[in-house]
Amino acid sequence: MSNYFNTLPLREKLNQLGVCDFMDSSEFLDGVNALKGKKLVIVGCGAQGLNQGLNLRDSGLNVAYTLRKEAIEGKRDSWKNATENNFTVGTYEELIPTADVVINLTPDKQHTAVVTAIMPLMKQGATLLYSHGFNIVEEGMQIRKDITVIMVAPKCPGSEVRAEYVRGFGVPTLIAVHPENDPEGKGLAQAKAYCVGTGGHRAGVLNSSFVAEVKSDLMGEQTILCGLLQTGSILSFDKMIEKGIDAGYASKLVQYGVEVITEALKHGGVSGMMDRLSNVAKIKAFEISEELKDIMRPLFQKHQDDIMSGEFSRTMMEDWAAGDKNLLAWRAATGETAFEKTPAGDVKIGEQEYFDNYTLMVAFVRAGVELAFETMVQAGIKPESAYYESLHETPLIANTIARKKLFEMNRVISDTAEYGCYLFDYACKPLLADFMTKVDTDLVGKNFNEGKDGSVDNRTLIAINEALRSHEVEVVGARLRKAMTAMKSIKTA
Amino acid sequence: MSQPVVHITELNLKYQHKSVLKDLNWTINRNENWLLCGTSGSGKTSLAKAMAGIGHSYSNIEINFNPESSLPAMAYYVANWFQFKDLEGQSNFYYQQRYNKQATETTATIKAELESFGKKHSLTFSEVDKILNALGFLELKNSTLIQLSSGEHKKLQLVKALWLKPQLLILDLPYNGLDVLSRKNLNTLLEEITEAGTQLILISNETELPSCINRIAIIEDGKIVEISADERTWNDIEVIDKPVPSFLSEAVVNSSSSEIIRMINVNISYGEKQVLKNINWEVKAGEKWVLHGHNGSGKSTLLSLICGDHPQAYANNFHLFGNKRGSGESIWEIKERIGLISPELHWYFDPSATVWQSIVSGFYDSSGLFCDPGYSKKAQTDELIHYFGLDEYKNTLMNELPLGKQRLALLARTIVKNPELLILDEPCQGLDQQQTLHFNKLVDELCKNGTTLIYVGHFESQIPGCIEKRILLENGEVNSVEILHKKPILTKNENYVTRSK
Repeated sequence: MSNYFNTLPLREKLNQLGVCDFMDSSEFLDGVNALKGKKLVIVGCGAQGLNQGLNLRDSGLNVAYTLRKEAIEGKRDSWKNATENNFTVGTYEELIPTADVVINLTPDKQHTAVVTAIMPLMKQGATLLYSHGFNIVEEGMQIRKDITVIMVAPKCPGSEVRAEYVRGFGVPTLIAVHPENDPEGKGLAQAKAYCVGTGGHRAGVLNSSFVAEVKSDLMGEQTILCGLLQTGSILSFDKMIEKGIDAGYASKLVQYGVEVITEALKHGGVSGMMDRLSNVAKIKAFEISEELKDIMRPLFQKHQDDIMSGEFSRTMMEDWAAGDKNLLAWRAATGETAFEKTPAGDVKIGEQEYFDNYTLMVAFVRAGVELAFETMVQAGIKPESAYYESLHETPLIANTIARKKLFEMNRVISDTAEYGCYLFDYACKPLLADFMTKVDTDLVGKNFNEGKDGSVDNRTLIAINEALRSHEVEVVGARLRKAMTAMKSIKTA
Repeated sequence: MSQPVVHITELNLKYQHKSVLKDLNWTINRNENWLLCGTSGSGKTSLAKAMAGIGHSYSNIEINFNPESSLPAMAYYVANWFQFKDLEGQSNFYYQQRYNKQATETTATIKAELESFGKKHSLTFSEVDKILNALGFLELKNSTLIQLSSGEHKKLQLVKALWLKPQLLILDLPYNGLDVLSRKNLNTLLEEITEAGTQLILISNETELPSCINRIAIIEDGKIVEISADERTWNDIEVIDKPVPSFLSEAVVNSSSSEIIRMINVNISYGEKQVLKNINWEVKAGEKWVLHGHNGSGKSTLLSLICGDHPQAYANNFHLFGNKRGSGESIWEIKERIGLISPELHWYFDPSATVWQSIVSGFYDSSGLFCDPGYSKKAQTDELIHYFGLDEYKNTLMNELPLGKQRLALLARTIVKNPELLILDEPCQGLDQQQTLHFNKLVDELCKNGTTLIYVGHFESQIPGCIEKRILLENGEVNSVEILHKKPILTKNENYVTRSK
């Protein structure tokens, strides 16, 4: 197998990278009909597998689960998840030959083994559904020509996929049809029906390609989503300890701060987040985030280049082959950081205090979101895809940090994301060493406004507001947020 | 004469920018146990929270604890609403989560919850079992918080308060969701702790009260007015006489089938624990049922099956609206025909929706509104808002309203689409007497149009007159099914008592 993307001529590379279409709700009027009466068999029953299956069944579709023999015999969690919810569970041999659609929701790392095992069992003309394109694009998995290959990727954790469905809504979803495997031309109709089955059609659907999904997803998770949040959190915590801030306070500020700060990002984009700062703090945050962007730009570009060339996946797959040597060592090191080992103190931190006392993180987030977005767009990815993979997902990852810090974040995200996160983190910290020597507690740990009279130069402030609001991530974001959450904007108004 | 325990002078209080308490004065002396009543929104909860010092402390509320008492010197407030968090300190739950076993292990067990409460207040563990037993809670010790029904959550709150025995105990609507036996046992426990020195302020509109209550007050126009027991009757309640909106007088569109529900040997279990056993039940179009049973008898699980909310529905043999469940229908097609209100629906409802959005969302069976409803649905919603007297709250967020008003909005949501099947699970929780009468009158009115009704209520006085059949659950099994010829009078041996007139 060789990297699929690298086998394409430049014309086709650009063509597939540039697929991105925000679908109108009228595209989903046919409901689940394209899958009605078909037999859907889900491989794997973790959080995504179980919750997508519950939604599909509640939408009137026929769903069963197939697991490896050992998982069934050992009555593992995946087996319990499926049987306790009264789904039919069987081995590959029992269920795959009867399936009209096989849904592969196993971890990335297992895809080659799983797909190799199930493909010979699949019936003529069946459909294979992925929720991530890594196996097809990076590993170059070749699928039998009679099989239709599609992707449906809900852009939220599995528990949210269920929670939003039962409350009558859904989560934003990305779909794609693999151009090499659409022999009957039914791929798009089935992907759309699947979205209706999971409720995604109510929250906004992006029609993308396998290539665009992989190249943007990898970039987002390595840089802004996980990598920079990890680097920023560790540096901020260490700085506060160095400057004598109470360790419990510092731990709490860092653990929950990213969540509170990115909640503002979720609702109002980068400018909405920056608007939560006082005028003086906003000007300062703008200035240092400009500096951060200049420092980190080459690193963001290197990550994007390595993702595009296949270098990233090549080295990561080498590590897979070496029994996750690097990954496990890095994971253990994360568990040993001072931030990870210091419990959050029993102090009350008000919502606004998270902005006022953690201006540095606001600057990190702005720099990271804009840089990731800009770098992706420069590499040929459409702004809509770039928005989803940068700004949109940041609050979701921040939530996992709030729950149980960095170790937990790395445990919850995919191994692919985790590997990229460490790569970024190890390269980024030395880059920021000089910058961090200039940072004092007014930016992290204490209220930035303390001892300042709050006056600012009008023209400077206007220029900064203008720069923030006219950035392309804001322009695209405002449009997508409106469409994605149709009524949610009214809900929170 | 010792100092008064509570001395309030000229208290003024606002609720969401609206003045509710105006120059209120109230003196509570030793050995007095008060009942506090008043209409929904009169300020009962605001006053109780102020006395307990929740959110803000007021200099014009003076509380003098008894320094010689061994009981904790505190005013402890048991809210009319319950809250819980998962093990990570978050409370983003959704209603159907409790039916998915894999998702229930993220909250603490009752045992762990009580242990942490006992430790915080240095309580003796040997004392709690007696209280648990009296409220029928002992066997729930290993359940997790998310698995509890609303009545069981109410009991957990009460267990904590009764165990703590504070010098001043303020209970806000403690009987909500409790079955008859639990209410009786609660009264006995309250009599015991007042005997031992706790003073009680009980906020309730109920009639069966503990005998220790010796003063009664009502909040009227923002002030405390003391009344006698005789002045508290249901008779002088003015019935609101507004015409029912015309769209609700139309006959409901019945499904092609005359059979609404048919269950054949339905079983539901979580691991070893069986919550429904061999349930057989048929409901025909237009029938009016009452569903009775003690707390934990399986009522909410049974209703969740009917509403398409229980994943184990697919492993059972039952028919809804003439179709076998799991034969290709979606839960939204089922929900479309049902108007549902339940304590759980209320608890899990989107608190950041406005009253108007909440009511319109009834057309889509969603928690919160996600699309533009169009002209006719908007017009029907406005009519209902007017009928329920909610005009001034139309654009108010749900979480900014008192419980009774929230409930009224959700009742409007329940009927807004004039559904084929109405499921009213303790619909009048939190309503005052006038609102209850008003709503029951409306239910009777709706039921003339061929609506099928399933009603759950622990308070006999609140059950509407149109009920004609009864199913009684006991420990997950059907105890009896019977035809009623008049309003159901529950006999004592079923642990229900009639209200003495």
